[in-house]
Amino acid sequence: MKKILASVATTAVLAAGSVSAQDYPSEAITLVIPYGPGGASDLAGRALAESAGKFLDEPITVVNKPGAGGMNGARSVSQADPDGYTLLLARVGMALAPAVNPQVQTGWDDYSFVGSLEATPMILAVREGSEYGSVEELMAAVKENPGAMTYAASGPTAIDGFTVQALLSDAGLDPLADATIVPYKGGGALATALLGGHVDFLAIAAGSLMPHINSGDMKPLAVFSPERMDDLPDVPTVAELGYETAGQITGWSALYGPEGLPEEVQAKWDEVLGQVAEDETWLTLAERRGSISTVGEKDMPAYAESQYELFRGLAEEFGYLGN
Amino acid sequence: MLNELMTALQAVATLQNFLIMAAGIWGGVIIGAIPGMTGTMAVTLALPFTFYMDPVPSILLLVALYKGSTYGGSVSAILIRTPGTASAACTALDGYPLAQQGKAGKALNMALYSSVVGDFFSNISLIFLAAPLAILALKVGPPEYFMLMVFALTTVAGVSGNSLLMGLLSACFGLLLATAGEDMYGSFRFAFTGDMQAGLSVAPVLIGLFALPELIKLIVFRNPPKARAMALGDDRVSGKEFRGVAKTLFRGSFIGVILGAIPGIGPSAAAFFSYGSAQRSSPRGQNFGKGEIEGVAASESANNGACGATMIPLLALGVPGDVITGVMLGAFMIQGLTPGPLLFETNIHEVYMLFIGMLLSSVLLLFAGKFTMRIFTTIAKIPPTLLSPVVLLLCLFGIYAIGNSMFDVVVLLALGLVGFGMYLLDIPTAPFLIAFILGPMIEENLRRALATSRGDPMVLLSSPITWIFAALILFVVALTARREIGKANQRKAEAQ
Repeated sequence: MKKILASVATTAVLAAGSVSAQDYPSEAITLVIPYGPGGASDLAGRALAESAGKFLDEPITVVNKPGAGGMNGARSVSQADPDGYTLLLARVGMALAPAVNPQVQTGWDDYSFVGSLEATPMILAVREGSEYGSVEELMAAVKENPGAMTYAASGPTAIDGFTVQALLSDAGLDPLADATIVPYKGGGALATALLGGHVDFLAIAAGSLMPHINSGDMKPLAVFSPERMDDLPDVPTVAELGYETAGQITGWSALYGPEGLPEEVQAKWDEVLGQVAEDETWLTLAERRGSISTVGEKDMPAYAESQYELFRGLAEEFGYLGN
Repeated sequence: MLNELMTALQAVATLQNFLIMAAGIWGGVIIGAIPGMTGTMAVTLALPFTFYMDPVPSILLLVALYKGSTYGGSVSAILIRTPGTASAACTALDGYPLAQQGKAGKALNMALYSSVVGDFFSNISLIFLAAPLAILALKVGPPEYFMLMVFALTTVAGVSGNSLLMGLLSACFGLLLATAGEDMYGSFRFAFTGDMQAGLSVAPVLIGLFALPELIKLIVFRNPPKARAMALGDDRVSGKEFRGVAKTLFRGSFIGVILGAIPGIGPSAAAFFSYGSAQRSSPRGQNFGKGEIEGVAASESANNGACGATMIPLLALGVPGDVITGVMLGAFMIQGLTPGPLLFETNIHEVYMLFIGMLLSSVLLLFAGKFTMRIFTTIAKIPPTLLSPVVLLLCLFGIYAIGNSMFDVVVLLALGLVGFGMYLLDIPTAPFLIAFILGPMIEENLRRALATSRGDPMVLLSSPITWIFAALILFVVALTARREIGKANQRKAEAQ
C-alpha cells in the first residue's frame, strides 16, 4: 500500500513538474510598483492585479518600491530573474529618467515590454479666481515678469516638470528660468500647493486634479493628451493650441518584465491582457481614476523608444545633459 | 440634520460593519505591535479587499487599521523598546524604562487611555471643525512648515539625556543621514550604490537604532540585568495618576489634531512635538526619559490625535496628508466617491455614516487594546534569552517584507551597530531619530520657501504663523541655555 502511494505521489510530483514548465504561472506573481501607495500608478497596479489575477488562476502580489523617481523599483525588476514572476508597472518615468539623468543606470530598453496598459492625461490648471483664463494669458504673464511665476512639480526632470518646461519652450520662453519650479512629492501635495495658493500653476496627472476641478476650486486651461478628455470636453489639448512639443507629452502605464522573458510567459500575458482589455472591473476602475485604457493597443517597444527619443531631445534642448 | 443622522446611524449600525471595524482595529493593533510592520503596510494590504466592499465599510476598515496600528506601535515600544511605528518612538523613551521597573502594565494602560482620548478628540474635531481646520491647514505654506518643523526639532534638547552636546551631535548625524538619496531637484547625495539612490527608509533606521542595540547588549554583556523580568505587578493607572496627566493629555490631543490636520506632518512629528512640550512644562520634566508616565501620555495622545485629524484635509479638501490617507483617497475614488467639499453636498449620508463609525471605533480601540494587552503582556514573562532571538527574527523579517529589499535589512543591521556604538559612547539615539524623520521636511520646505521668494530669507518671517513659531523657537533655545548654564554652575559648586 505504502509503495503504491509513494509511486502515485512521485508520478503526481513529476507530472506537476513537467506541466509547470509550460503552464505559467504556477505560483503568485509579484508586480512591483515603482512609486508609493495611493498614487495614480499604485491604483493602476492594484487594479491590474485584481483584474488579471482572475484570468491567471494565480494571485498577483503588489509591492511598492518607491525612490529615485521610480527608478529604484524599475531597476530591481530589470535585474530580477526573467521567469515571469517579477513584473513592473512601468510609467512614463521609465522612459524619461534615463533620457534626462546620466546617473540613472537602467536604460529605457533594459526590460521586456509585455504590453501597454493605459494613458493618463495631464492637466494644466490654475486656481479658481486666478486672473489667467487661457494658456496664452498665462504664458504672457510669465513673459512679463521672468522668474516671478511659480509652478509645482515633482521635480525639474520629472514628467510633470517637463510638461511645463516644454510648454514654456514652445512659447519661446526660457524653460528653466522664466518660471520657477517648486518641487513637491506626490499628487496630493502638488494639488494642495495650488489650492493653498503657494504656487501659481501646475500641469500634473488628471487623477489628482479632477476632484478639485469638479468642485470648482481649480480652473483647467489645457490637457496634455492626444485627444480632449471626455470629462472636460471644452478644455483644449495643448497640441490643438499649437504647442507642438508639449503636445507629445502625456502620462502612460505599461507592463514590463526583466529582459529576456520566455516566450510562453509573453504568450500567456498576451492572452490575459486581451481579457483584461474587455474586463468590466478594469474598465470601471480605469474610468474612475481618470485614465483611458489602452491595454494591448500600443506597440510598446516602439512607443517607449519614441518617448525616450522625445525626452532625450528635450533634455538636450533644456541643457540637462550638460552638453 | 437629526433625521439624516438617524438614518445614517441605522445604516452604519449593522453587525457586519461592527465586525469589519473590530477586525480592522484589532488587526491594526497586532500589525502595529509587530516590529517592522507599519500602519501603511496594513492599510495598503487591505486596499484590494475594499474593491469588493461598500464605500463606507471599506473606508471604516482602513481608518480602523490606521488607528489600531498607531496604538499598536506603543505595545512593542513599551515591552521590548521596539517602536512598531515611528510615531511610537517617544513612547519607547519612557515606556521601556517603566517596563523595566516592572510597570509594563501601567505604561500599556496609560498608552491605551491616552490613545483613546487622543482618538476621541480627533474624531470630534473632524466632525465639528473640519471646515475651519482645513482652511487653516491650506494657509500653511513652505515658510510656515519650515518654522513649525524647526520648532518640533527643539524636542531634541529634551531627549538628549545627560549631555546636550551629545544630543546635538546625535541630531546632526540624523540630519546628515536624512539627506541620503535623491533630493527634490533630482540630484543624488551619498548615492554610492544604486540602492543608496533611493535613500534610507524610516522603518529600518528606527528599528535599527532602538531595538537592535538592546539585543546586541544582551549578546555582548551576556548577563541581562535582573530588572528586565517585567512583572506586570503594578499595572493599573490610578485615578490620581490619570488626573495628573490630564493636562498633558489635552495638550497632546490638541497638538495631534492641529498637526494632523496640516497635510504632510502626520503622527510622528505630532508625537515629538507633544513630548517636547510636555517635558518643558511638566514639574517632573527631569524625570522624562527615565520612566515617566506623563511622557507616554504625551506621545500617545498626540499620535492618535493626529490619526483622525489626517482625515480632515482628505474629507474637507480632497487632499491626502500622508501615505495612508493617500491610500484612502484611492479607496474613495475606487468606490466612485470623491472626497472634497462636494462630498458633503452629494454624499452627506455616507459622510454621517463615516463619522458615526469613527466615533464607534474609539470605543472599539479601548476594548481591542485591553484584549490585546493581556496577550502581549505574557511576552513580559518570557526570559530575554528566548525572546530576543524571536524579536530579532521578527525585525529582520518585517523590515524585509516592507519593500522586499535586502538593502533595508543591511541598513537595519548597520544602524543596529551604530546604535550600539552610540550606547557605548553614551550618545542618545532619540535625537538622531527625530532629526532623521524631520530632516527631509525641514530641508524641502526651506528650499521651497526660498524658491518662491527667489532666495530672499525674509520669506521665513513673512506671516503671523511664522512669527509665532520663531518666538517659540527663541523661547525654547533661551530656556535650554539657561538650564544648561544652571547645570554647569551646579557641577562647579559640587566640584568645589
